[in-house]
Amino acid sequence: MEKNNTMTPPKLLARPLAERVAALDDLRPPSADEPDIPANVIEAAVAALARGETHYTDRPGIPEFRAWVADHLAQRYAVVVDPAEVTITCGSTEARFVTMTLLAEAGSAVLCPGDSSPIRGALHILGADIVDTIRDDVSLLYISPDVYRETSIELLQRAEERDWWIVYDLSFAKTAPPFHPAQNEKLASRVVTIDSLSADLAGWRLGWMAGSAAALRLRAGKQAITICTTAVSQWAGLEWVRTAL
Amino acid sequence: MTENPNIPETVRAVAADGTQLRYALMEMAGQMDDVITLGRGDPDLPTPAHIVEAANRAMREGRTGLTPVEGLPQLRAAIANHMREYNGLPVGAENVMVTTGGQEGLFLAIQALIDPGDEILVPDPRYTSYDDAIRRAGGEMVMVPTDREDAFNLEAEAVEAAITPASKALLIVTPSNPTAGIVTEDRLRAIADVCIRHNLIVIVDEIYGRIVYEPWRHFSIGSLPGMAERTITLDAFSKAYAMTGWRCGYVAAPENVIDAMARVKQVTTGPVATVSQWAGLAALTGPQDCVSDYLQIYTERRAVLLDGLDRMGFAYGEPRGGLFVWADSSSTGIHAAELSYLLLKEGRVLIFPGTAFGENWREYVRITLLEPIETLKAAVERMLPVLARYRA
Repeated sequence: MEKNNTMTPPKLLARPLAERVAALDDLRPPSADEPDIPANVIEAAVAALARGETHYTDRPGIPEFRAWVADHLAQRYAVVVDPAEVTITCGSTEARFVTMTLLAEAGSAVLCPGDSSPIRGALHILGADIVDTIRDDVSLLYISPDVYRETSIELLQRAEERDWWIVYDLSFAKTAPPFHPAQNEKLASRVVTIDSLSADLAGWRLGWMAGSAAALRLRAGKQAITICTTAVSQWAGLEWVRTAL
Repeated sequence: MTENPNIPETVRAVAADGTQLRYALMEMAGQMDDVITLGRGDPDLPTPAHIVEAANRAMREGRTGLTPVEGLPQLRAAIANHMREYNGLPVGAENVMVTTGGQEGLFLAIQALIDPGDEILVPDPRYTSYDDAIRRAGGEMVMVPTDREDAFNLEAEAVEAAITPASKALLIVTPSNPTAGIVTEDRLRAIADVCIRHNLIVIVDEIYGRIVYEPWRHFSIGSLPGMAERTITLDAFSKAYAMTGWRCGYVAAPENVIDAMARVKQVTTGPVATVSQWAGLAALTGPQDCVSDYLQIYTERRAVLLDGLDRMGFAYGEPRGGLFVWADSSSTGIHAAELSYLLLKEGRVLIFPGTAFGENWREYVRITLLEPIETLKAAVERMLPVLARYRA
């Protein structure tokens, strides 16, 4: 392709675009490390395609996978989530983007006592700040298991007093303790759990967001971006969780 | 929305939101037995076998790891090649990004380009699934009228009349969802002149561009002089290759726009599922008979459905492309939302009311071609007695 035959950046787009994306991270190359996928997972995906699973799935995801997520949360964390409150997403990235941009408010602050890098881009797009200490304008608490062990008591008391939403992100936890903020009944309706299979099935783009009174709103938010998650990935992921976890 | 008390609250509560209204009707249909679904735009035809086989090979050979967020390099190159040859767009791989279906392409374009207060000109009726992306960015939709007598073609004069100092972009969907109209080449040339004069960006959704009925032809506005640098072209494998569940689409745009969209995508959804990208590559580089074969099937179905609509007393603008018929149901005297509900409840046929595609379209319905001919005929037979019962 001749370079001089390609599109050239127009002046009218360049300046606002540069300003808009300046704070977003540079593009990262994908990790070269990709674990081998078990043969049974691949064959489950092949079988799904063979029986015609090439259409849109239910908007929140295939019922079997959503049921597994609900059961997993019950078994591992004693947290009760209806499968109807589970949405399968394109990795935890989409789950974080949807929860941050629909539950936090533009101009507000998101309290993040740990690593904020997973949510920085989404909050930049929303126009919300990230803070690591409690402030009056906090509307959402983003925590992961590592932080939750150390700071849970005070943070959760404040969350309860101030009606914060809580996003509990399990997707980077190698091993998660059996604690979970939704075990507190007074908080449960405002807690969204995020998790994914990115460590083992990264290229299949599978994650989920589960629970809370906002579950249907989150489902609609996901639908507005990608409609549903890749069907064959969901069937592969279902086989993975049933046999490997 | 109709005040008819027979309309259940689950439908009434979401009537003002076109997307949610469609989903409410789909969920209702899902709870009923033996419903003929002519609602959602999901081709009933299978993904062609050679595409599935390519995906199987990729999976079995371990080619499932993460790709760059912009997409598999081989796929980006193939898309650029296709868009040069089929659409006439002057693009290279650097102008292309792979997206999680066509809808994400629109979402990313809006997020990357639209500031709060910016106005986007949108032909009316519209695909309301795009509303959310525009609202999130703080954009304001300004409707540009189209009408049945003109087969829902878009007029440059109507576009120009809607422009204000806040206008930033024009959104075109051609062939149109829901109207099945196309914006013809002569109109696109006039619209391009307007966009250049008023410095507008064009976001054009061409996802139905390979489903155009004789004698009509698809034309890409981005191929016109002076337009490539201001046009974001959206497309996907979903419709032409019956690949909705794979969630694989693409965008062509100036390189700086692609870079911005990729940065947004990195924090929004990440790369597209790798197996879907291998499938997409097979779709573009493999035999293309499937596309023309499927078009022939839709052509035959369209004739059957139009005959049925004639019997039902519904008028329509000529459906020139896409997978729908946008029919005028005013002869029934029934609000479209109520009519859709009655046809579902009593006829067990799911169609979508016009109000799911714009507040003013209470005398229109959208019906898909996405069932076999015998099923389409059965749907007409089911709808006729319901219409006879309720017709004013």
